[in-house]
Amino acid sequence: MAPLNEIISLTGVTKVFRAAGWKKKTAVNDLTLSVASGATLGLLGPNGSGKSTTIKMILGFLRPTKGEILVGGISSDSYRARALIGYLPENPRFQRFLTAESALHYFGHLNGMSGSALKSRSLELLELVNLSHVRRERVSGFSKGMTQRLAIAQSLLNRPPILIFDEPMSGLDPLGRIEIRKLIAEIRRNMPRTTIFFSTHILEDVELLCSHVALMKLGNLQTLSTISELLQNEGQRYQVLIKKPQAQLPDSLQSSQRETPNELGLILSIDGDQGLYDTLSEIRKAGLTILSISSERKSLEQALFSQDDINRVRQLGGAA
Amino acid sequence: MKSMAYIAGIAIKELLYEKVFYLLIVFVICALGLSVLLGQLTYAEQTKLTIDFMLAGMELSMVLFSVFVGISLFQKELTFGSISMVLSKPIPRTSFLLGKFFGQLIVQLIVIAGMGAITYFSCSRLPEPASLQAIVQASLLISFEVMTLSAITYFFAVNAGSLMTALATLALFFLGHFRSISALQMGKAESNPIWSLAKSMIPSLEIFNMKALASYGYSIPWASVQWAFIYALSATTFYLVLGAVCFSRKDIAT
Repeated sequence: MAPLNEIISLTGVTKVFRAAGWKKKTAVNDLTLSVASGATLGLLGPNGSGKSTTIKMILGFLRPTKGEILVGGISSDSYRARALIGYLPENPRFQRFLTAESALHYFGHLNGMSGSALKSRSLELLELVNLSHVRRERVSGFSKGMTQRLAIAQSLLNRPPILIFDEPMSGLDPLGRIEIRKLIAEIRRNMPRTTIFFSTHILEDVELLCSHVALMKLGNLQTLSTISELLQNEGQRYQVLIKKPQAQLPDSLQSSQRETPNELGLILSIDGDQGLYDTLSEIRKAGLTILSISSERKSLEQALFSQDDINRVRQLGGAA
Repeated sequence: MKSMAYIAGIAIKELLYEKVFYLLIVFVICALGLSVLLGQLTYAEQTKLTIDFMLAGMELSMVLFSVFVGISLFQKELTFGSISMVLSKPIPRTSFLLGKFFGQLIVQLIVIAGMGAITYFSCSRLPEPASLQAIVQASLLISFEVMTLSAITYFFAVNAGSLMTALATLALFFLGHFRSISALQMGKAESNPIWSLAKSMIPSLEIFNMKALASYGYSIPWASVQWAFIYALSATTFYLVLGAVCFSRKDIAT
């Protein structure tokens, strides 16, 4: 039995797929992960890292080869566990003949809802996702963004305590992404006790929406932490902007010099608090003028990936 | 149970949307054309030939309907990906499978009833009127046969792709009709337990065939129809249970 505040718990979960011939491929390897009730966990990782497989195992679509998954204390094998989950697939597809409203009614019935409660909830959700004006139109004519919003609405029908979103922003244009992000933030505000578990490969989304982050690589869990812990780095960096000296910069400050934004200024990049104090005293000794001091915030990218990883990806991007 | 009914309802709506009842219009045109054409070829046997052709047409079109509509209803959800939102709801997978099956079955029964009525009315104006009872019985037996075939289709659809499902179901359809003949040709193999097991998996579909009798206006005792129904129900249950067990254990990666 999982501790009370753990709403999703995976213990030693492994999933092995049979590939071509007799070959086997381990998609998820000995994954142990728990999500506290009310948290927003961003599951990050490149394609093929095992994010979607993990989500499908939590939903009971895939059976783990080894290990146990509990959702609200119920094994993910049981369909009853799904009563606690609202799910948005990576590429939501509705039957083409359904209208937005009838799709919500259909999924509401499958959730055990009926009558006026279902009707009013459907209308409320169509309003929330800004589709009430097309509620009687067939989903076959909907854009990707509209389909995505309708799929979010169906996931919220029974006010589930857990929301699982698989790549909710995938395939959307920038405007669509902003809309979905806003929607998730609104859900977060309106349903603060709901646990949101979503997979993505977009770091910015995680940074903006999540309280926790898990990083997966090649089926293994690399990092599991709160966003604040990750960004609160042991080696805080500072930027000191000084007025460009007439003479040459003292030797002790040469190594900190990073760039020259214009003819007047010079930026010094400094590691850690002690480094800052030392630099300030050097500046005072040299009689230089300080224009500004700012803290350099570490990005999630820097926190999660090594500089080598980042450089490699940038080089690949440049080559492409 | 309720969820199964909703899934069946959606399956029916989907079939209506896909305009499956156009099949009836095609059948009416074929029936009228056939009765006019056969009228030119023969006088004495016109009724017999027309009924025989129309019942054979009904059986063949419904066999193809049950196989391909079954594949479309079930496998399309898997390949299209819409199954993931359905199965993310708190419903057993069996409800999904049975809901689709019963939705299809209801539409099939309506189409067969329509075809049976068309057969009777288009033959009633011929020199030798058709026997209503014989046509009703033949239509019922065809509906039992396609119910069994639909269950076989769902069983294969759970375990294989579209092409394999179609090939395997149609192979069982032919083997089911020629079971007794193929058994005779196996000779010593009859005593082989593997052959016996394989043979027991093939439903005997020839018991649903009374087209020749109906074309001569003969009816059969209702007890035989009841027996055929019990046989079809048992075979359908067998294949659906097997399909449900396999489906409940299947990895769904869409």
